[in-house]
Amino acid sequence: MSSVIAIESPKIDIRNLNFYYNKSLEPALENINMPIPDKRVTALIGPSGCGKTTLLRCLNRMHDLYPGIKYEGEIIFDNTNILSKSTDLIVLRSRIGMVFQKPTPFPMSIFENVAFGLRLMGINNKTELKDRVEAAIKMAALWDEVGNRLNENAFSLSGGQQQRLVIARAIAVNPEVLLFDEPTSALDPISTAKIEELIIELKKRMAIVIVTHNMQQAARIGDYTAFMYLGKLIEFDKTETIFTNPKEKLTEDYITGRFG
Amino acid sequence: MIELKDSGAISPVSSMKRNGKVGNTLFKIAAFTAAALIPLVVITIFVVLFIEAYPAIKVFGVWHFITSKSWDAVNNHFGAFTPLFGSIYVTIWAFIFAAPISIGVAIFITELAPHWLKPIVTTAIELLAAIPTVIYGMWGLFVLAPFMQNHVEPWILNHLATLPIIGFLFNGPGIGIDTFTTAVILSIMITPFMSSLIKDAFSLVPEVVKESAYGLGATRWEAIRKVVMPYVSSGIFGAGIFAIGRALGETMAVSFVNGNNHNPGSFLDMLSLLNSVTTITVTLADEFTEAESHLYLSALFYIALILLVISFSTLAVAKFIVWRLERRWKT
Repeated sequence: MSSVIAIESPKIDIRNLNFYYNKSLEPALENINMPIPDKRVTALIGPSGCGKTTLLRCLNRMHDLYPGIKYEGEIIFDNTNILSKSTDLIVLRSRIGMVFQKPTPFPMSIFENVAFGLRLMGINNKTELKDRVEAAIKMAALWDEVGNRLNENAFSLSGGQQQRLVIARAIAVNPEVLLFDEPTSALDPISTAKIEELIIELKKRMAIVIVTHNMQQAARIGDYTAFMYLGKLIEFDKTETIFTNPKEKLTEDYITGRFG
Repeated sequence: MIELKDSGAISPVSSMKRNGKVGNTLFKIAAFTAAALIPLVVITIFVVLFIEAYPAIKVFGVWHFITSKSWDAVNNHFGAFTPLFGSIYVTIWAFIFAAPISIGVAIFITELAPHWLKPIVTTAIELLAAIPTVIYGMWGLFVLAPFMQNHVEPWILNHLATLPIIGFLFNGPGIGIDTFTTAVILSIMITPFMSSLIKDAFSLVPEVVKESAYGLGATRWEAIRKVVMPYVSSGIFGAGIFAIGRALGETMAVSFVNGNNHNPGSFLDMLSLLNSVTTITVTLADEFTEAESHLYLSALFYIALILLVISFSTLAVAKFIVWRLERRWKT
């Protein structure tokens, strides 16, 4: 009982994915099949604990930092299964970036924050660094606010600015996919609007997956929306369809506010 | 029908008698007394030390006392430079030896060790802290000192003492009872303390910040060096100063292996790791029984007061730094 529409040449294709936080316990994700379209925003919605963040963190294998976890199935990215043992996680995570719920600036200057990923990639040429950092900050719509104080500590920025700085840091390394885990839940409405505009701008260049607990946000920025419930994918479709004419009863109940 | 009897059970609160009041007041007084006792004890110690040290302060002054090297019981002339210098110098070396090990241990436990190994290493280090200091002293005197004398220090004398510029650090009799051995023992003693404080600082780094670093394709080493380390640097500093405060006050183990030498020769000789010195704590432990003149006794109280001031201020600085760290990163 799940309804998933097909997408032509998806950027990422999730096939029969099961995920366990602990091998001996019930799976946290069960039999997920879902495409992630390129150059589109895919929103993951569902009630708390439904597994949307868990699914997001499978896509760059962030779970691997913790012991005892287990994946089953396949996640195809660029014709290879990223769940295979031979995947180079360092390379994978530089191609699939991630932005978290709370802004996570590093304890260094604004400039160094954005240059962080670039330096990891071995870019040390000063002019190149400067150009790339500037381009990333401009793309994150933050240049007007911080362009003249790049050497200040990143913690001196406001929460919304910090979150855009973190986005600038993530896009500086030019990822093909960008994962957002409730990026605006800690921000005020104005900062939220800025981040949403930014995400719509960014989708011209990369595939975007965003976890959100806010259905209006999914409706505003999502091209596609996936509804999850109790570790299962219930429905994946164009956002418009999900919100106006869902195929599954559960989806309809959720978006009309009958539970959750 | 159920008839409601007129019951006193729901009488207005104001008319009820509360009989817990006396107990509550007593409890308050007891807790306040207990809390007030601590600062009172600290102040009393300061006052007593000052009163006892006052005759020596009057005779030798402050500057003269802490710069004079003469510790002459026969002529009743006392200067604290040697033990004061010894305490600080031995502590600095202990810190230099202990800091990298403590940081390494903390990083290993918080970031690198597999899950099953963490509790084992943590417990082993805690056990190190449980060993009574006198046992460290005995071990130092009977095991470490002979080992240093026979195996380590001859090599140092042959290879390092002849080096230009820093050679003076390694000149000396090399009999195992010296600054080097003392610093090694002290460093072993402060390592558990320091590494557990640094471990705490590491655990203040939000998981999601580390994940951000990994999310950008950082390796463990890059995430630790570039993101975690700047986060914890002030915590490491605070832990270091706590450890220094502890090393400064250590008496027992030091008294076994540092030689209590009040006449270590020139200043250059005092800087040598292979020379013996004395420390404030050891001077106090060794000489109270011998202090026959009033001024001698007073001079001992004077150096005790100096030690207290130094320990007190290092602890205050450390507290301040750690407080600032926690305020800065806790969200």
